[in-house]
Amino acid sequence: MAHTLPSSDQSSDQDKWDSGGLECKGQLLIKIVMRNRLTALVVDGDTTCWVLEQELLHSYGVQTLGVDNSRDAVDLIASDAEFNLIIIEKILPVLNGLEVTRQICEIGVRCKMLEVTACSGESERQAFLAFGVDVFIEKPLDPEHLVPILRELDGQ
Amino acid sequence: MERNPMRRQLASMRKSLFDQGYLDEQFMELEQLLDDANPNFVEEVVTLYYRDSARLILNLDRALERRPLDFSKLDGLMHQFKGSSSSIGAKKVKAESTLFREYCKSGNAEGCMRTFQQLKKEYATLRKKLETYFQLARQIGPMESANRPK
Repeated sequence: MAHTLPSSDQSSDQDKWDSGGLECKGQLLIKIVMRNRLTALVVDGDTTCWVLEQELLHSYGVQTLGVDNSRDAVDLIASDAEFNLIIIEKILPVLNGLEVTRQICEIGVRCKMLEVTACSGESERQAFLAFGVDVFIEKPLDPEHLVPILRELDGQ
Repeated sequence: MERNPMRRQLASMRKSLFDQGYLDEQFMELEQLLDDANPNFVEEVVTLYYRDSARLILNLDRALERRPLDFSKLDGLMHQFKGSSSSIGAKKVKAESTLFREYCKSGNAEGCMRTFQQLKKEYATLRKKLETYFQLARQIGPMESANRPK
């Protein structure tokens, strides 16, 4: 997603910055209308990421539950909690993201799974995909990657 | 009118944070995302980031004092730090994190230590700039409410 800052025209630049926003601000969050109320589980040990990923999902009307460690994630799934989407970070307290993914898939979960992590090597990416992750996204989670997934889940 | 010069100052401050490469477009997405819910939420998230990442910085400092260096552990810690930094749009901090991880992968101890020092500088500089920015934003907020026509 290419976003450019306001043009070189100084006076129009100033107005745009003064308005408390940017001309391109409205383009950053891709607007969609969801037909269904989706649910998502966010598994991330980093509080900042955990908060922001949930806020992004909320902005699209997705109901979220967040856990900050792998044990709670597995226990939740094992207790038959159902989600349309699970977002997992690679490095987690207790078990790593790959192991969590494996255990969740073994339980028989068949929802969309996203691995969202600071960049990793190709071998790790392939390992996650082999274990059942549907999409591998480099942090930060952004609308460009998220919206097509939400549309698909929403049957659009 | 007093309000406009302060708003222009705020806008100028904000523009320079992007122009000088301290922040990237992720910060803009953050602002747009959190505007309606709570006007101070961006500041709250940035405060949260600095609070939580302080622990990672401390752990990295300690890990870099050990001999021999455990590059795998260092990489893991920096992986977390990078993810967090990228989520608030901390561009220079993220760049140093990436470089640090490359040095970890190649087992370059000196590179790791040098890069970490630079990372801490960028981290501290960004913090000061954002504190100043948010302080001014908060001053403008209440002023706007006071001046709003009844």
